[in-house]
Amino acid sequence: MSLCEKQTTSSRRGFLANGIKAVVAFFGLGLGIPLLGFSLSPTRGRDRHEDWIPLIALAELKDSRPTKVTYQYERKDGWTTVATRKMAFIVQNGDGAFTVISNRCPHLGCGVDWDATANQFRCPCHGGVFDLQGRVLEGPPPRPLTQLASKVEDGSIFIREA
Amino acid sequence: MGKIYQFIDQRLDLTPLLRKIADHPVPDHANPLKTRSAFIYCFGGISFLVILMQILTGAFLMLYYVPSPDHAYASVSYIKNEVAFGGFVSNLHRVGASAAVLMVFLHMLRVFFTKSYKNPRELNWVAGVFLLFIVMGLGFTGYLLPWDQKAYWATTVGLNILEGVPLAGGFLADALRGGSEVGMLTLTRFFVIHVMFLPGLLILFLAAHFFMVRRQGISHPL
Repeated sequence: MSLCEKQTTSSRRGFLANGIKAVVAFFGLGLGIPLLGFSLSPTRGRDRHEDWIPLIALAELKDSRPTKVTYQYERKDGWTTVATRKMAFIVQNGDGAFTVISNRCPHLGCGVDWDATANQFRCPCHGGVFDLQGRVLEGPPPRPLTQLASKVEDGSIFIREA
Repeated sequence: MGKIYQFIDQRLDLTPLLRKIADHPVPDHANPLKTRSAFIYCFGGISFLVILMQILTGAFLMLYYVPSPDHAYASVSYIKNEVAFGGFVSNLHRVGASAAVLMVFLHMLRVFFTKSYKNPRELNWVAGVFLLFIVMGLGFTGYLLPWDQKAYWATTVGLNILEGVPLAGGFLADALRGGSEVGMLTLTRFFVIHVMFLPGLLILFLAAHFFMVRRQGISHPL
């Protein structure tokens, strides 16, 4: 008799507990999913900049040393549009051939600079050293400096953001 | 889940504490399963639920909202038009504000008509009146934040009403407005009052309110 009583009360408790869990799950998912989507919304679809960005006129390229150029493009930033300024090096390989190398160190994103005496790119942050072609010579960088897609049109060099 | 609870319980002996907090019988006259009209005793709990929703949705809205005249309107329209579930979250917060005022008011009517404010519960009534003012203050300050025409003029009119207070009215309105015109300083003031000062007060008074209702129990209607 007492056993039977105990069973009915405990199953009723269990039923109510499950009911509470269901309500909590309903609210949790009904709010959790929208709020997660809300928070992560701007991370979806990294907006790539597809346009060709003008760098410099061919005629302005000086001797064979890497030429440091600053370029600028408009980027969407939240509900505003901002001008982003970045730097790159134009490395001439003779016969008018050239490559455009981003100055972003592939280690942790500092800006590398050209060391004219050592003929090397050096990163000031953690001692990464690269040769003229951007290949790693020393230090922590895991890969060479990034080459940007480039083209010549109407006597000017254009690049595209990677 | 059970194992995690066991692990913590073995070390901190939480069960008696939780029993004390959660295991308390609801008297029949306040239990909708026993007394049909007892649903009026739910308004306080619903108010609390709505307030929790407001805190949650408000915190998430702050991920994008910028309290500056240059950006407030644009950031709100960004939330509504471009952020995933942005309309859902901002409308939940907007409708929730109305629901909070409505539920707090219904709760107050219940307490009034069951005469639950009488001795020994006068202090809890006083705390409740403060909570009503805090919730209305949250509604008033939140209304300006979208920085659209309705927000601007509602705040202009509201603060001009405040100027009608004898003697101190002009000072109070200027203090809230941060000057003589609704502008940049009004927006930043209202924002901080809305997200910091009033929520802090709200939590303090809610804690006192809940402590008193547990200490004194649910009243019988007189």
